[in-house]
Amino acid sequence: MDHLLQLLLNGLAVGAVYALFALGYTLVFSVLGVINFAHGALFTLGAYFTYLLIGGAVGANGLIAGLQLPFALPFWLALLLAGVGAAAVALVVERIAFRPLRARGSDPLLALITSLGAGVILVNLIQLLVGAESYSIPVGTLGSLPVALSIAGAKVRTVQLLLLAIAGVLLLALTIWIDGSRSGKALQAVSEDPVTAQLLGINSGRMIQIAFGISGFLAGMAGGLVGLSVSIAGPYFGIGYGLKGLGVLVLGGLGSVPGAVLGGLIIGLAEACVPADFSGYKDAVAFGFLFLVLLIRPQGLLGRPLAEKV
Amino acid sequence: MEAGLLVQMLLGALLGLSVYLPLRCGQLSLATPGFFAIGGTVAALLSTRVPALAGSGSTYPIASVLLEMVLAALLTGVLALVLGRMVLRLRGIYLAIATIALVEILRVVTLNLEFTGGAVGIFGIPQPFQSAEGYGAFTLVLLALVCWMCDRLEKTRPGRAMAAIRDDELAAASQGINTADTKLLAFVLSALVAGITGVVAAHFLNSWNAKLGNFDASITTLAFVVLGGSRTWLGPVFGGLLLTALPELLRPVGDLRLIVFGAVILVGPLIFPQGLITLERLQALWRRRPPWLALPSNRGRR
Amino acid sequence: MTLLTVRDLGVRFGGLQALRGVDLAVQEGEIFGLLGPNGAGKTTLFNVISGLTPANTGSVHWQERAIAGLSSHRIARLGIARTFQNLRLFHSLSCLENVLVGMHQHARQPPLAALLQRPSFQRREDQLQQQALELLALFGLEAAAQQRAASLSYGDRRRLEMARALASQPQLLLLDEPAAGMNPAEKEELRALIKRLTQQFQLTVLIIEHHVPLMLGLCDRLAVLNFGQRIALGTPEQVRRDPAVIEAYLGGNP
Repeated sequence: MDHLLQLLLNGLAVGAVYALFALGYTLVFSVLGVINFAHGALFTLGAYFTYLLIGGAVGANGLIAGLQLPFALPFWLALLLAGVGAAAVALVVERIAFRPLRARGSDPLLALITSLGAGVILVNLIQLLVGAESYSIPVGTLGSLPVALSIAGAKVRTVQLLLLAIAGVLLLALTIWIDGSRSGKALQAVSEDPVTAQLLGINSGRMIQIAFGISGFLAGMAGGLVGLSVSIAGPYFGIGYGLKGLGVLVLGGLGSVPGAVLGGLIIGLAEACVPADFSGYKDAVAFGFLFLVLLIRPQGLLGRPLAEKV
Repeated sequence: MEAGLLVQMLLGALLGLSVYLPLRCGQLSLATPGFFAIGGTVAALLSTRVPALAGSGSTYPIASVLLEMVLAALLTGVLALVLGRMVLRLRGIYLAIATIALVEILRVVTLNLEFTGGAVGIFGIPQPFQSAEGYGAFTLVLLALVCWMCDRLEKTRPGRAMAAIRDDELAAASQGINTADTKLLAFVLSALVAGITGVVAAHFLNSWNAKLGNFDASITTLAFVVLGGSRTWLGPVFGGLLLTALPELLRPVGDLRLIVFGAVILVGPLIFPQGLITLERLQALWRRRPPWLALPSNRGRR
Repeated sequence: MTLLTVRDLGVRFGGLQALRGVDLAVQEGEIFGLLGPNGAGKTTLFNVISGLTPANTGSVHWQERAIAGLSSHRIARLGIARTFQNLRLFHSLSCLENVLVGMHQHARQPPLAALLQRPSFQRREDQLQQQALELLALFGLEAAAQQRAASLSYGDRRRLEMARALASQPQLLLLDEPAAGMNPAEKEELRALIKRLTQQFQLTVLIIEHHVPLMLGLCDRLAVLNFGQRIALGTPEQVRRDPAVIEAYLGGNP
């Protein structure tokens, strides 16, 4: 049944992007216990970076109208650099919106507001510079790769396979890093108990920066990938993904890396299964899931139970 | 200042109070825009589809607006009662995310339903007032009523119970406080305020669509309280007035205004972690009052 | 009359058996002490009685009524108040407000009267404040009435927590290590205060404390817990001589 395979691949490709997105949330949440509401803006930024680096020209409405880089990088390199660029911005966001609050021991709730402020600034800065129109990454970007492949009788877009493969590699690399490396273990220690980790000689400030850096990198890459497979629908297009990412995050379990991956795939597949007649409701699927999970199993599928010490 | 902006500011203050009520109880609920949207939709539907409400005069009768408010309050109240029972078992960021989900589900549903006008929304909502000044006076009275309710709440038993839950829910339960019911009370009151505010906003804006209750609105209204302060009702009122006015006041800087707005909500909590209005600042202000400001007879306080 | 009966109580946290087959009966008007090393399950027993921790086996009866499984606010309303080992005051509220919150169940007023600030409402509110101030005075905290709880010294916080617990006019008061962090003079003061309170308010007290001399001098009866099991029960004299207690806890140094 070709239709089913197509559906499956579609769902997995979208789910992989959600997973990348949610992983960024989860990394920051696991070390700080708060959600970075500027994450959606980093995703958007990654998409625009990718577009510019492959040699795309800016439209006529922004401050830098008509700008075009004098070189055009291959897509994979542009994507990688976009990730790095988003990571750098994530570090700036950490520096101005999170660190001052932490230094003063303020209510972590405030970080929701400050990070949102950072997000608002970023999104509107993008709009100021390149305008509000949508951009799409041209088909020829992938060089000699065919637009679609035929697998077992099903027609599958190459972009989606590519997206799935890149997301898979990133997820694998991240898992290996967290479980296998010294710094990955240190990150786990900080998320377990920041004070004890500090006493054991782990520099938690450093680990928080690393978490933000990786989180921004993943968001930037995800943005570039979505830009390639769909389009860049204006400076605000990261917000919708940002919200769905929350759904993925909660479904998998806040702070759980495998949970974010599982949650992303489940929601991606579920959205792909929404019949065409109800496609308007597609965007509600993630939130419906989220709501149910919170009521039935608040710690998420793979999260640890919440307990309060008396 | 333009009267239209003043109405928007007053509506902002009301929404700030709606976010403030659960927060005073320690519950971070971002559901306010959802209930606001329901209130607005109720008003938009009733006033455009029910001819009996339109009356015979040239302007839409205020009595009909009041009736819409009652119906909106009923609907949001019942909904908040049911949803609150479910979501208030969650704590901290989990509650916040669950309420974001509620608002988003509601938005998507409104966007797709035939009778709410879909993505276009509902247009031509009749006007009970000819001028913005009329709306200003009406909204001001409403705001005064809600402030008065909040003030009484803070100074009485349920208000003390709410403050106790905010500080330590478990210890509050050990004092015989029914924490579930108290949190629910705050949540329902918050929904009522948001729903009623939606009714006024729908008439004032003349049209209504699903966009008015989105995630941006959730966070903007939260910013009202965080910047204004969440210890007394004056905080969200002040924050709501200020932050609603800000983008308009910043119009001269043109395209930069949203960037400046972002900078304000980024820097505000860093400089004033307790918000602008705190009890300490109010007391200090009161101590330094000019001599002509006589002390009103303080009934019942030693 | 037996006020509180605990029968065959068992609580397990994962692989840890925190309480195992504990039996207790607290008589009206007595000061009943719980002794035992750290981790013996004393606070867990308090948490079960006050409805914060569910029991796996056994029952808790208040007078004739089974109360295991009731939520903690209902148990509090039956007349069981408690303090916490690690102090759980309402930090951002003033001392006066902390005590007023303690009076919650007796402070109910018609909502409309409260909303309209009727004279009857204000009279009752003044009366409640007066009572709260008197309670604070009992613990020497009247001068701090308007101060935030967070700004108090450690000993004053312990006293404020007792005042808050008494504000609910309980029949049974559960005190979890009320003397922790106090110097010997303060401990002696506390002993006298608890004695006086029990008489003045016709209280029954169930108390956890590590300081053995204080407990021997204060309590009418004592139970000793070790590894979640009750290993002794009796008057201070009996407990002091119990060989199991000497071995497990007092270490041969009565």
